[in-house]
Amino acid sequence: MRVLTGSLNQQTQQFATELGLIPVPSWVQDTFNSYLVCEFTTIKNGRPVTLPLLPFYLPDTGRLVVTSSILFSRKIEHMRENPKVSMLFSNPEGTKSGKHVVLVQGTATTEDADLDHGWEKYLSYWRKKEPYIDAYLAEREKFGWFWKRVVVQVEPKRITAWWNGDTTRAPEVFGA
Amino acid sequence: MPKIDYTRLANFQYAILTTIDDDGYPFSVTTNYQLTPDKRILLDKPILPSRLDGKKVNVLFNHITGIPTGGYTDRRYMLLWGTTHEERGKLRLEPERLSEWDEKILSFPEYCAKVAPQGAKYLQKLQPSVEA
Repeated sequence: MRVLTGSLNQQTQQFATELGLIPVPSWVQDTFNSYLVCEFTTIKNGRPVTLPLLPFYLPDTGRLVVTSSILFSRKIEHMRENPKVSMLFSNPEGTKSGKHVVLVQGTATTEDADLDHGWEKYLSYWRKKEPYIDAYLAEREKFGWFWKRVVVQVEPKRITAWWNGDTTRAPEVFGA
Repeated sequence: MPKIDYTRLANFQYAILTTIDDDGYPFSVTTNYQLTPDKRILLDKPILPSRLDGKKVNVLFNHITGIPTGGYTDRRYMLLWGTTHEERGKLRLEPERLSEWDEKILSFPEYCAKVAPQGAKYLQKLQPSVEA
């Protein structure tokens, strides 16, 4: 299921439902766009494995994307065995956003047909969150395998959001 | 019982507790934590998930420092796998395994060199499909 953001009037919700999108308020979208890291969880042998990753939000499809170097590709192996993943947006450090906490649970698909260049279409998103990335790219040969990267797209199934990050209170839940 | 540096573990703002929900998806939530003098890790009970007594979980402690011109530095995390037990209104984490990285201890280039075998393994697995 994809994500639609904006106001949640009845017409918007109906439109979202017809397109198979998950309607969420704008503060959730702002969180996706601005938080520099998310806590990404895969499942290995029935147990969670959570690591910080740099997330990108694709507003046109409602999907979320991360990329992974083959150096750190165990999570890719996990996703191929079990595509159920989650992405927690909990840390507003380095942003001017509010302290919201948003959990996306969804299904991951991995793409490694072009390890050298397939991920480059997300460079503009990467640059917004890490403006210095071009300096590292200029030394691409120095970190050759770091720049061999698998693209992971996550299609949200359920979004659980705590306004102002207060997880002692009941969250808003969007989607299935 | 993993060897945990409790001084470093105390130096995070909050914890992220993750378990697997009834639908089979990972479920993560933030919570506050404290370390007791006898080295117990106590987590505040989040409202969700509701059943955490005796659950297999992982708890991530993660830190970045934002850079005023954009991006971040000072990356470090500690990831503990274990079981949670309800005790006096808190959750006590009984740790079983630890994974961690602190770029001030192991620089990013050194880290990349250390995990090179995983990269080689990935490429080796690709090779048969390339040759097919």
